[in-house]
Amino acid sequence: MTTPGIRTRAFTALAVLLTVVLVGLVVYLYWYLGRPEALPDISGESVAGVQCVWESYGPGEGELPRFSGPMGVAVGAGDRIYVTDSENNRVCVFNAQGRFQFEFGGFGVAKPSAGNPSTYDPGELNYPVGIDVGDDGDVYVASFYNDSIEVYAADGTPLRRFPDPDTIVGRGGSGFGGRGIAVTDVAVRGDRVYATDTYQVLVFSTDGELLDQWGKPGAGPGDLDHPNGIAVSEDGRTVYVADTNHARVTAFSADGEVLWQVGSPPQGMSAESDAELQLPRGVEVMPDGSILVVDAFGFDLVRVSSAGEVLARYGERGVESGQWNFANDAAAFRGFVVVADKGNERIQLVRLID
Amino acid sequence: MRHILSVILIAAAMLCIPAPAHAYYTEDPSGEATSETPCETCHGTSAALAEAEPYGPHANYTTTTNKCSACHSVHKAPAGGIVLLPAATVLATCETCHDGTGGVGVYGVIEARTGVAPAARHTMLDTVVDPVTSIPGGDGTSGGSRTATFSGTFGGLTCTDCHSPHGANTVAVFTGDRARSLSSVPNATGNEIVSDRLLRQKPTGGLVSIDVYGSDWCGSCHAGRLSKTTLHNHPVDSEITQPDPASPYTYENIVYPDNTMGPLGYNNNGYVMPDPRTSNQSGHDPICQQCHEDARSVGDVTEQTIDASEVFSITDVDGWAEGDNPRYQVFPHESDNPSFLVETDDDLCLNCHTQPRG
Repeated sequence: MTTPGIRTRAFTALAVLLTVVLVGLVVYLYWYLGRPEALPDISGESVAGVQCVWESYGPGEGELPRFSGPMGVAVGAGDRIYVTDSENNRVCVFNAQGRFQFEFGGFGVAKPSAGNPSTYDPGELNYPVGIDVGDDGDVYVASFYNDSIEVYAADGTPLRRFPDPDTIVGRGGSGFGGRGIAVTDVAVRGDRVYATDTYQVLVFSTDGELLDQWGKPGAGPGDLDHPNGIAVSEDGRTVYVADTNHARVTAFSADGEVLWQVGSPPQGMSAESDAELQLPRGVEVMPDGSILVVDAFGFDLVRVSSAGEVLARYGERGVESGQWNFANDAAAFRGFVVVADKGNERIQLVRLID
Repeated sequence: MRHILSVILIAAAMLCIPAPAHAYYTEDPSGEATSETPCETCHGTSAALAEAEPYGPHANYTTTTNKCSACHSVHKAPAGGIVLLPAATVLATCETCHDGTGGVGVYGVIEARTGVAPAARHTMLDTVVDPVTSIPGGDGTSGGSRTATFSGTFGGLTCTDCHSPHGANTVAVFTGDRARSLSSVPNATGNEIVSDRLLRQKPTGGLVSIDVYGSDWCGSCHAGRLSKTTLHNHPVDSEITQPDPASPYTYENIVYPDNTMGPLGYNNNGYVMPDPRTSNQSGHDPICQQCHEDARSVGDVTEQTIDASEVFSITDVDGWAEGDNPRYQVFPHESDNPSFLVETDDDLCLNCHTQPRG
């Protein structure tokens, strides 16, 4: 015969046991199975050194279920994947499995031409392109036609923007009317934010104070022509810039000194015939210190050593899983690479097979 | 026992809480020179561009070049691909750079600066969902619309219907309004932009070569707009309909010695056709581009004079300077006036249907 006290203790023990089991199960489901490694391969085998794990053509829900020209990707805390859905003027967020989580942004014109009202509210975007995530999880987005960088908390809450798009920035930027910066990409490392403008690199603090700027038009070493990608080494001492229209990537020291470059501006027929890079757009620092260059017109991801030597090329043009069509950006995490496959209106999570 | 049963039921309910499917969302079954420098500055005329000098991805092809693969999948073009292009669009190729991130943008500029969609655009939706195949005024017999198959994927209109990316067989160069680049802004000595804009002599796959950018070039698609014979249509001067085919008005020969009309391109006076006509204008009608160009103000309705705000003025790149006239220079891709009209309403009509300017 049991007493009420014994029954209560038995009930409590059972409840605790079940709770532990449930928590363990939840952890297993959400964490272990949530890792990309646990997902089956779509393609089954690699093509041109690329094995697709999953692909997504957009949120799959809401008013805009599909991407329209996704151009930038970045990975934040908890393996959240942030995608700039450029022509839809928003950022879409996915988990590591490729499941849509939420979106933020929306269309707002911060610098209307005369006679037109501003439609901008904080956090709104105007053709977002490059994107990166800081160490604290804040998300930095290059709002190209608003000539400024929008900063959000990890959950998409607008925090601030800089520089002021209506103010001349430092020695001048390429923003509308010479104010602000026509920013194409951002890279955050520590307390510094690096941004590419039409002909230069600008360095800000994470609060938006301009710290440095370098670069100018021209075809000489370190000159820039519509750079569209920027990344910073882990130690913060090297800044890699995809000098897009010069068909090269230039490595700068943290204060703008040219260290090396791979690729060269088109000079003539012979130079065109064996160009190392065709149209480099995105650039990403890999865990081993090498960089991954997204070559939109080469239709491959080009791995370059930290000394500027081309190591490998991955991928080919196409519309199938594991192929690219004018890919624009890439971000690496946990041995995978997520690619903004702009021309195919999708993102892909892939393994690179050497 | 009830308590234990309750706990078990709660646990079962928790297990039934919707959890991630652990799948993935996928549904597709299948020197100082810069790129902003006018090409002619370094490379001469369009012929030279096409044959001899580097021109970005647009020319300079040799037997050893690998540039072809930038746009063409020579050995791997899928079935249904166009001119060895994969199933994705020509538009995607062009807009990799021409969305503004690789140079001055072509589409999207007006909405990015005004917050509203342009009033007119040559829409290029070369997708299977909604290919744009209807041409307003495309039927030369009825003057109505006609459908056509363009060179984009699924028959839609795309960039290469009008432009030759390779710079081959293009129209003669002409003076345009655009300051399409930072270094092409007019300076004190004048810096008119002379270019062929890579316009094909046979736009949209036309059978007849048209070597001058004028009404006949537009008429390759909009043939119904050229007619002034059996159709009651707006008169347009063209080589096809002009009694003297040797001397149609074109974009270039609007300029006449009596100077009652100015040139098209870098001048607003060319956008009028005073009545009564001068001897040089007699027998001619306006060409398409006199009414359809970048939106601007080209004259005062009541006084027929051009005040300061109506003088052609390009001082900066595409839409940057508030006082520039025209403000946006993206014709005929998009316009903030309907039907790509230079002006709207009476202001447009009275440019021609009134006395000559004093």
